[in-house]
Amino acid sequence: MYEEPIIEAHNLGVRFAVGRKRKAKLREMFIHRGKERSSGGQEFWPLRNLSFSVQPGEAVGVIGSNGTGKSTLLRLIAGVLLPDEGTVLRRGRVAPLIALSAGFSGDLTGRENVHLVASLHGMSRQQLKAKFDEIVAFAEVEDHIDTPVRHYSSGMKVRLGFSVISQLEHPILLVDEALAVGDKRFKQKCYKVMRALLDEGRTLVLVSHSERDLTRFCTRGLYLNRGELQVDGTVDEALAAYQQVEDQKVPV
Amino acid sequence: MTSTSPPPVAARPKRIFPKTTGLTALWRHRQSLTVLVRRDLAVKYQATVMGYLWSLIEPLGLAFIYWFIFGVLYDRGGLPAEVEYPLYIVSGIFAWQWMSSAMTEATTSLTSQASLITTMRVPREVFPVARVFARFAEFLAGIPILLAFVYFFDGQIGWHTFNLFFAVAMHFMILTGLSFILASINVLFRDVQRFMRLVMRVLFYGMPIIYPLEKVVGPDSPLDSWVQTAYQVNPFVGIMQLYRSAWIPQIVPSTFQILVSVGFCVFLLFFGRWLFYKLEPAVLKEI
Repeated sequence: MYEEPIIEAHNLGVRFAVGRKRKAKLREMFIHRGKERSSGGQEFWPLRNLSFSVQPGEAVGVIGSNGTGKSTLLRLIAGVLLPDEGTVLRRGRVAPLIALSAGFSGDLTGRENVHLVASLHGMSRQQLKAKFDEIVAFAEVEDHIDTPVRHYSSGMKVRLGFSVISQLEHPILLVDEALAVGDKRFKQKCYKVMRALLDEGRTLVLVSHSERDLTRFCTRGLYLNRGELQVDGTVDEALAAYQQVEDQKVPV
Repeated sequence: MTSTSPPPVAARPKRIFPKTTGLTALWRHRQSLTVLVRRDLAVKYQATVMGYLWSLIEPLGLAFIYWFIFGVLYDRGGLPAEVEYPLYIVSGIFAWQWMSSAMTEATTSLTSQASLITTMRVPREVFPVARVFARFAEFLAGIPILLAFVYFFDGQIGWHTFNLFFAVAMHFMILTGLSFILASINVLFRDVQRFMRLVMRVLFYGMPIIYPLEKVVGPDSPLDSWVQTAYQVNPFVGIMQLYRSAWIPQIVPSTFQILVSVGFCVFLLFFGRWLFYKLEPAVLKEI
């Protein structure tokens, strides 16, 4: 079990400026670079001091209530957000399904979007040609593939997004809440695909609020609370910690 | 933390500024670049009947207007007798069209493609650069028209025609550099895209496109010598003269203009890339 981890996060932190502080930040970026300013100021760390590593083939669930930095973490792992502190290292390409979207643009048709997104993810033209029909059939959007994506329902968009992403051959799969949107039948199909991908040895990082989805796939759980990693253990341990904190909150 | 806790690893450097100004990364991701350029061209002309012809109609229409005003009404804009105004305006306007649309569209290249940028890990540099390339494709489409004007309006082809390649290379460098700067700053301050219309207007009249350089610089100029120098510090003046010199050997950019242009091209390419690299974390947060 001393394989090299496929994802390594060291002391990860990301900072957002609150309100109008942004302009000062810009200046600071050039003048005192790298120096940690101690003057409190209006800033907010959605995530800080996160360290963990993921072994190839692991399925990790990220758990936490809204606004605790789950999606931010996923974006950091995907490399579409750069950390202000620490590093995140990936040993392999990432197939991300972030924020319910695979990056589709509304003014392009489904077909154009599939071509654009798949090729930007590194799929060659031959691969795409071979897999295009399968992608469309899986998403069940055959009748609308030449319609601009802005006319798609959110379910259709997620289905097509999942369909494209799951056809990529990248070893790391990041999925953010996508399963929450599809209907029951589509979920069943997704489960099958995800199971198959995991059996192939892919690594999965899944963000979800659904206990069922998490326990179905994940062996390991990361529980995030207020931007800190509070539990890094089995998925049951993480869920238990989540449950406990939720129960202490003021009842609705 | 159990057996999965990370083994201690030596501190890694955060992000390293690519000394090749990221050109190697661009080369590695040339597939992404091609895809974006092709998508750009496809989107621009989708739902238009005349398609790519539009990239010719627009500059030719402008050329016609300026020919009418300056070539006919205003005594050929003060061009020397042996230079034909139609060739003069067309050889400048295609280059101008490339630069103006590349700069305007590069400015919004990150903001308008946020959905792609926030969901996939493509080097962000490809987005502004793709805009420069896509508009360059339109410039290339105009070359046959330009050659027709060279043929019908006494253009000359010779060794000086190779200046076209230098002009294009310099234009590429400066536009790439500027596109990095404009695109990244526009994410942080959307004011930039509002400002661009005015900037482009100033640039258009601030370089010899519709009038000859001699109107501003030289013994016949009504302007003070410091104004003349200031005018020539605009790096596009030298580039525009170089474009013209490919067909019109009477036009020769001065050493000063060439040095200014080359200096700005190199500086802006490196500075633009550096600024883009510095602003990238903030850009990704704000977008």
